[in-house]
Amino acid sequence: MSSINSIEEFASIEKGGDYYQKLLEELARLNERLHAFSNINSSINSFPFSAKDNLCVKGVETTASSKILDGYIPPYNATAVERLLNNGFSFLGKTNMDEFGFGSFGINAQEIVRNPFDERYVAGGSSSGAAVATSILKYHVAIAESTGGSIATPASFCGVVGFTPTYSTISRYGLIDYSNSMDKIGIMARTAKDIRPIFDLIRGPDGYDSTTSDLSITSINKKKLIVIDQLLDLVDQRIRELFEKMLDKLNAKGYSIEHRSIDLIDASIASYYIIAMAEASTNLARYTGFKYGFKIEDFDKGYNEFFTEARSVFGEEAKRRILLGTFVRSANVKDKYYFKALKVRDMLSSRLEKILEEGFIILPVMPIPAPKIEDAKKLTPLQVYKMDALTIPPNLCGLPHISFPYAYDNGLPLGAEVITSKFNDYAIIDFVEEWEEDFEYKFKYKIGEVK
Amino acid sequence: MQSDFDKLLKVCRIRLDKEEKEKMEKELEEIIKYFDVLDSVRIEEVNEQRAKVERLRKDEVKQFDNIEGLLKNTKTYRFYVVGPKV
Repeated sequence: MSSINSIEEFASIEKGGDYYQKLLEELARLNERLHAFSNINSSINSFPFSAKDNLCVKGVETTASSKILDGYIPPYNATAVERLLNNGFSFLGKTNMDEFGFGSFGINAQEIVRNPFDERYVAGGSSSGAAVATSILKYHVAIAESTGGSIATPASFCGVVGFTPTYSTISRYGLIDYSNSMDKIGIMARTAKDIRPIFDLIRGPDGYDSTTSDLSITSINKKKLIVIDQLLDLVDQRIRELFEKMLDKLNAKGYSIEHRSIDLIDASIASYYIIAMAEASTNLARYTGFKYGFKIEDFDKGYNEFFTEARSVFGEEAKRRILLGTFVRSANVKDKYYFKALKVRDMLSSRLEKILEEGFIILPVMPIPAPKIEDAKKLTPLQVYKMDALTIPPNLCGLPHISFPYAYDNGLPLGAEVITSKFNDYAIIDFVEEWEEDFEYKFKYKIGEVK
Repeated sequence: MQSDFDKLLKVCRIRLDKEEKEKMEKELEEIIKYFDVLDSVRIEEVNEQRAKVERLRKDEVKQFDNIEGLLKNTKTYRFYVVGPKV
């Protein structure tokens, strides 16, 4: 495997005069089947990046896959987008997603994104299009976003590397908010080698987001991997076997493996969904039908009637989260649900940080392999929420984590995630680079490759 | 008399037809019951921060430089956003 990242490799390859045009044409043809992009730029001239459709790109329709934002054209760029453009990268297009990030399988979207390994299967969510774009393009990085697992899950199902940094390292300016205390902009790429240079370009303080941290990033690796047993017990038997084989390989590379139990881990799904829905229900209150995107022109209607009509265009999962989020914040139950969930988050963060002082936590990303689209549609909302059991702890607690392919089963990739302490982000990127030295990733498409 | 679920729908300004309402109410009941897992957690005080910021930014007011662009996304009358009657 090449020792340079694909950005450097791209700069060194001989590209013919019609290279970019051919790339765009080939991408548009494949996109008709996979629906990775909601729109593709008509012209690019350098290393391409895509942006999840909840990131604002000046002059480009940005909807977060919601009908309520149909036609919304941002007058500014998200900071992450602006920084890549200022460093000579080309904006390739907006990638599809579950509406506002509400989903784990990419099926709560205006167009269902299909898995590039087998189109009958889901691509994962909510950053479904970002993962598919990364899997099908030889030279490209995706700017995605995770609240509860929206980078790790699709990266795992599509066989790419998905990096979710420490909460607050990348500015959220220009991100369409889902849950402000947990939203994190992150990166997907075909190898970990591409993650670090992009992370370094887009992270750091931003005058437009006062929560963005200026603390330095470290790379401390104690050569110990910790498996949380209660979470591993949730995993499908076949995935568990393959995951344990990977642990054997890592053990042979010099990593010690330890198994632990953590109290409170069983409460993490409830804590996450209560906080996420409470914040989502307030964030979605801004879509009133006259300020952004979808509009009602009949201003003679009373405010309540007008607002109710506007909110009828939200998808089913968005409506569910508005209802649940409003319920858990209501005066008579807010102590029982919302404030308790906040406390549980703090307590779990404290426990995880303590364990992470000893080494990395390692887990499979999902308890099941990618399901068929028709099977994912049959799951109840609660069954879907429970599928996030392994991605929720690091996301709830703002911990950096990275997912990477570690096996292929029935022709589909499987991903594992490594979690570390806050601001030790470089360590897990380096860990995956080390894994890649003797594990070759598979891709079905290589759009942009120079033969 | 309005049920608690009807009141919630009204507060949220969400309108559902009969079939959607029955399905949603059942799903919400199941989810809220699951949230009760938090009841068994005994609370401890811990010192956790969501974001670690070393230096606070100066509290300076800056005007957004593309107000015309912002207003393009709405129906406006001069510099006012036109909306429904309150």
